[in-house]
Amino acid sequence: MSETHPTTETNDIELRSAIDRSLRHPVMFFFTSGALWLAVAIVFGLIASAKKHAPQFLDTFSWFDAGKIDAAHMSALIYGWGCSAAFGIIIWLMSRLSRKECTSAGIILLAGHIWHIGVLIGIVCILDGRLSSGIGLMEFPNAVWIILLFAYVLITVWSLVQFQVRDAGHVYVSQWYLLAALLWFPWIMVTAYLFVFAFDGNPLMVAAIAAWFKNGLFLLFFLPTALASAYYLAPKVTGRPVYSYNLALFGFWSLAFLGPWAGMERLMGAPIPQFLPYVGAAAMVLILVPAIAVGVNILKTILGHDDVVAQSPSLRFTVSGIVLFMVFGVLSFGLHTVTVMKMTQFSYTGYGLDILAIYGVFSLCAFGAIYFIVPRITRREWLSRRFINWHFFLSVYGVASIVICAIVGGVIQGQGMEDLSQPFATMAERSDSYGWGITLAWGFMLIANFFFCVHLLLMWARLGRRSSHPTLFQRHHSENPHGPEGEIDNIGSATA
Amino acid sequence: MDHTRDNPLKRFNAFWVAILLVTTFGIGCIILRPFTLGNDNAAYEAASEGRLAIKNEVLKAEAETLNVESLNDQMASLAKTLHSGEPTQGAMPVVIPAPAPAEAAPAEAAPAEAAPAEAAPTEDAPTEDAPTEETPTETNPESSN
Amino acid sequence: MLASFGLPWLFAVVLPFAKMRSLDPVEYEEGGEVSGVYTPKRDGRITEGSRIYGQEGCYQCHTQLIRPTYAGWDVHRDEWAGLRVSADNSEDTRRETLATDFQDEEIAHVGISRLGPDLSNFGRRIDFYLKKGEYTPEEWVLLHLYNPRGLANYLDDQRVPEKSTCPSKGGMFDEVPTYRAGDDALPLATPDGLAVVPNDRARALASYLLSLKKDTLRNPLPKALNFNPEAPQAE
Repeated sequence: MSETHPTTETNDIELRSAIDRSLRHPVMFFFTSGALWLAVAIVFGLIASAKKHAPQFLDTFSWFDAGKIDAAHMSALIYGWGCSAAFGIIIWLMSRLSRKECTSAGIILLAGHIWHIGVLIGIVCILDGRLSSGIGLMEFPNAVWIILLFAYVLITVWSLVQFQVRDAGHVYVSQWYLLAALLWFPWIMVTAYLFVFAFDGNPLMVAAIAAWFKNGLFLLFFLPTALASAYYLAPKVTGRPVYSYNLALFGFWSLAFLGPWAGMERLMGAPIPQFLPYVGAAAMVLILVPAIAVGVNILKTILGHDDVVAQSPSLRFTVSGIVLFMVFGVLSFGLHTVTVMKMTQFSYTGYGLDILAIYGVFSLCAFGAIYFIVPRITRREWLSRRFINWHFFLSVYGVASIVICAIVGGVIQGQGMEDLSQPFATMAERSDSYGWGITLAWGFMLIANFFFCVHLLLMWARLGRRSSHPTLFQRHHSENPHGPEGEIDNIGSATA
Repeated sequence: MDHTRDNPLKRFNAFWVAILLVTTFGIGCIILRPFTLGNDNAAYEAASEGRLAIKNEVLKAEAETLNVESLNDQMASLAKTLHSGEPTQGAMPVVIPAPAPAEAAPAEAAPAEAAPAEAAPTEDAPTEDAPTEETPTETNPESSN
Repeated sequence: MLASFGLPWLFAVVLPFAKMRSLDPVEYEEGGEVSGVYTPKRDGRITEGSRIYGQEGCYQCHTQLIRPTYAGWDVHRDEWAGLRVSADNSEDTRRETLATDFQDEEIAHVGISRLGPDLSNFGRRIDFYLKKGEYTPEEWVLLHLYNPRGLANYLDDQRVPEKSTCPSKGGMFDEVPTYRAGDDALPLATPDGLAVVPNDRARALASYLLSLKKDTLRNPLPKALNFNPEAPQAE
């Protein structure tokens, strides 16, 4: 641990190296277990999508029945992969930005295991069916939520402490987003848990609050984590400062004000107080504003450095994630007007937007962060440029296909439903082909995830390349595009 | 390490501040819970009004016609004479042969109705009943419900 | 930041929840055929069945929401909102979903998508349209849960198509020797000596599904809750 001023270059590198060393076990655990859950989630997604147009597929296993496998797919994607990756990113990033080593790695690792055991129990309960709660995206049984919340606090409270005891100085944009994500997640989860499970009330309001929680998970936890990672990597890798501080401020506060109102538009037309779905729809329409603010900010930061974006895996993934966030903003703007919602409220479209949010925006940014963080904590470089390439293209292609098929298919479905001259059966059959498209796209994602998982597990097993040159997409480079700060810190002992 | 900002005491405080922040809205929910209770039975209560009115009316009418003193007096006088008289022979039940099977169903209903009357105190004259030979054993379990 | 979260938390979550918990009962107007307050009339294993409906994930593909016309044309979609038995609107039991429609359920299964039809009045449709002498409503529902593709027409122009994508809930049924099945056996062609019997969860779910009758048949709406437009005299 450095005792001298942290401002000199060597001591800075030593500090960063010490931080990485202190965190490597919990962070690698979160990333690898998350990647494995992602594989499970993608397999479930494949089965779920297949069941929608070929119901005989695997129908001898009652665990894979259509409704239950859908629930298991989303739960594994969100609580298994999403939360795990988010935790890994949050604790590493907060540590680095507050320049504090992590002193509770053991507790975090234990709590991480508790989290995953909770998720595993929850998914098994969902698939079996007799213990699940039956509430959208909160299907885990009652007791599991308590375990998850407890684990969450044990994982993340240290990051909040680190932020409060950081050295005096600049608060990075990423830190606002991290702090916000850390607080918003328990706020929405505890509120949702209490109102849905503990207090009893009108079932329609319970459904409304579950919908509010669903949107809140993405807008108030996954999105801020992704943005924190983007606001860190874009300046870091290109070596330039964030384009506009004021724009960043504006982007953050517009998300903070809009996010908590969104969600109840999923219940448009239900007999709940009418302003609720309208406010939710308005908030989702206006999400375009922070999307553009953040998008412009990040893209302008990397403007003129196309070669860096092309070469650096982390930046390529991150920029794709941010571009997809802008796409999400535009789609949200277009799809949440009442005239469009008449058609698409109960169609594939909602699923498409959800997947765009979780996979397109959050997961791509998370992959970018993982490709940056893992070499630093394992002190090895990624083994195969090709694996990363395939992971990237298959993921982007896959998520684009799912989103396009789902949104277009949803609109077609919706048109069919509104067209009263057509019987319902015709409309249902028309959306079959889009269902096939989605299934196929999940197949591509599965292959992409295979490359990612294998690669990550090799790194975890310390089989990465020992090198001072990071793994980049182009074979020859004269200068490290990560900049002098990006070099792997080879100072210090190489022992585990 | 900058001791003015980072020391174990500061970390301890920061830990509890963090816990408080995390649980803010949970505590808020619990605090506001009593205010959210309201009356979720309002429709049921409103729908019950008519029924409860009738019920109260009936109870009131019954209470008015129930003359407790007169009942008590009657019971007291009966109690005095209960042991005074000679036991008198009761009338033998009239035995009617079993009906044909086609009539067995209606005949079974009649003994069931007559059985509770039979179970009442024999102070009153034995009521005219038409039990079949099987009835004493057959209807006894029914009369004891 | 507490404010930016606290305001929506208060106004979108806490207060509406409190308000919806204690809804004022709606009274019928004076001099009408019905007096008193409007109460939903449902029977069946609603709480338990609703839970199983959620556990089996039926809400992923079916909705239970008839939206007002500004939000969708559900009211006009074939028999989703109620029965339109005669062409001149004299027997028209359609209505939008009301706030009391989900009483006794833990959560309103509004639904996520409509890969299958809306189920708000599923019980009504089954009761009304099942051809006489074929199956009882409960039998039909259990057969449907067992194998949706095994049953075709249940009414003239609304078919459950042979290509139905509803999953077969085989896990809710047991194969038992015929002598143990008794009355519960489903009318299916099974191998000799075996019968298919629903377990208790299947029965609860069937009871719940048959209780889904959210229209105005035998339970008319008071004026205050009747958002239907006046029926035209001649169609």
